Amino acid sequence: MARYITKRLLKAFLIFFVSITITFFIIRFMPSNPVDLLIDPKMGPEVQEAMMEEFGLDKTKGEQYIIFLKQLLQGNLGTSFKSREPVSQVIMQKLPWTLLLLFIVVILSLAVGIPIGVYSAKHRGKFSDKLINIVVMVGISVFVPFLAFLFLYLFSYYFKLLPTGGAYTPPPAKGIRYVIDVLKHAILPSLTLFTANVASILMYTRNSMIDVLEEDYIRTAYSKGVKENKVIKVHALKNAMIPTITVTGLMMGSMVGGAVMTESIFSWPGIGRLIYDSVSALDYPVLQGSFIILALSVIIMNIITDLIIAWIDPRIKLEG
Amino acid sequence: MQNNRTFFQSFIRNPMGMIGFFGVLLIVLLGIFAPTIAAYPKGYGTEILVAPGSGMLFGTDNLGLNVFAEVVWGARSSLYVSAIAVLVAAVIGLPAGLISGYKKGKIGSVIDGLIDIFLTLPVLPLMIVIAAIVGSSIINVAVVIGLFSWPSLAKVTRNATLRISEMQYIEAAKCLGIPSYRIIFKHILINVAGPVLVNLTLIMATAVLSESGLSFLGLGDPTTWSWGAILKKAWDASAVIDTPNPWWWWLWPSVFIMFYVISFNLLGTGINEILNPKSRE
Repeated sequence: MARYITKRLLKAFLIFFVSITITFFIIRFMPSNPVDLLIDPKMGPEVQEAMMEEFGLDKTKGEQYIIFLKQLLQGNLGTSFKSREPVSQVIMQKLPWTLLLLFIVVILSLAVGIPIGVYSAKHRGKFSDKLINIVVMVGISVFVPFLAFLFLYLFSYYFKLLPTGGAYTPPPAKGIRYVIDVLKHAILPSLTLFTANVASILMYTRNSMIDVLEEDYIRTAYSKGVKENKVIKVHALKNAMIPTITVTGLMMGSMVGGAVMTESIFSWPGIGRLIYDSVSALDYPVLQGSFIILALSVIIMNIITDLIIAWIDPRIKLEG
Repeated sequence: MQNNRTFFQSFIRNPMGMIGFFGVLLIVLLGIFAPTIAAYPKGYGTEILVAPGSGMLFGTDNLGLNVFAEVVWGARSSLYVSAIAVLVAAVIGLPAGLISGYKKGKIGSVIDGLIDIFLTLPVLPLMIVIAAIVGSSIINVAVVIGLFSWPSLAKVTRNATLRISEMQYIEAAKCLGIPSYRIIFKHILINVAGPVLVNLTLIMATAVLSESGLSFLGLGDPTTWSWGAILKKAWDASAVIDTPNPWWWWLWPSVFIMFYVISFNLLGTGINEILNPKSRE
């Protein structure tokens, strides 16, 4: 197991290194000049030069990259062009909100998608399964802003039950009332992202369950006289879970993408909203920092899912 | 049995594939004949925010423009963007998948590693930044989407190639001294065409989701009508949560996005079922 974990961590580190390098060069080789947006053109050239120097923009791309890596090792992501605060500080204020949203969505999607997927596989080819398949087809084709609009129209405009945006009603309340307030604001964004993601989890659970149910050892279990429910829960589910967990890990990247749109619509104060706001200001360090943190979160999620899979299926860690 | 039927014969017997095909056909016709169906919406209309039905099929927006005309012209740009995105994805993804699957060894694992990295990265945020900075002309947006759509295609191609390149006729081709590039781009490419085709229809679908997303976030081409751009205008005018509520303004473009995506997904599923009869229920 130790060898498997070491190998997996090395791979994760490599992915992380390549992704930060790609993002650094993509962002730095863009044609726009951040100084134009940062500094009033009426200012003198000396002031502009001083600011270039302050942001390290006067050095060559190679030197900027070395500085960037060194600072990254120290946990320093640079200074925001716009707010002049350390990027790590800006991001850390936003990260918990995004993680909260993603956490709710992952848990909900697994809790709903897996049982329905198993049910659908059990009733393969019957009416209920066909109906679920149609719903899944619509679900994987969903456009996130459309969902958000529908929910807003229904719950905020028509029934006036839920708030239209933000994460809490200002000024923030204290104690339990704050928690309730935040949860109330989280309902629509979570519901939107959940609906957009649950279909894939359901589909993968269903398909892998169907594959597993055709295996010889399942037939053996049945012929031993084991009840259907027990066969599915004890024998089949564990193996059927492997593709579902893998997919959940892989979906993190696209979920983060959906979160950008969801957060922008619901003014949810997370990293997605931060990215959108930073784009219009060409705030390179914040954009870069947001990517690094998002990529890191996704990579960590992937390690976790890989470890869970290795724990479920011992063959994987032996091969590793 | 299966071999007695041509692909076409099986296809017209596949309900999912046929529904998808006609959906795609409808969008394509809308896109091609947009100028004949509706005049290009520009300037100002006389009646603002008219509900659907009263002479205006889909109603009008806050400038008095016909939402139906906007949606029809939106079909045109959506098709254009997804077609270019698919082209870009194919130009990168196909060779990457074919070469890494055929060569295996070092080149194979390097390309495979790259595919994994790009599959892991949160792609939409990356597209947002690039689209924001390269400038939002429709062609730029299409190319950016294509640049990040190749990994799934490459993966599918690679897996299929790995399987095909073990086959004896490839072995035979090697023994005959046929150069690698001809084996790859002639003998293998034809035999991985099935899964590649399925993946390309899926990329058509996701490309329009990305395009609509980028336009909705204000990163699309401001001079072109696209479904995401209509949604952005409606959202900016608070058409979703304000009273009176012009729901037709945001509902129709959304319905068309979903229709487009579902049609391409169904088409892909249909083709897949015909190529792998085992996956059929």
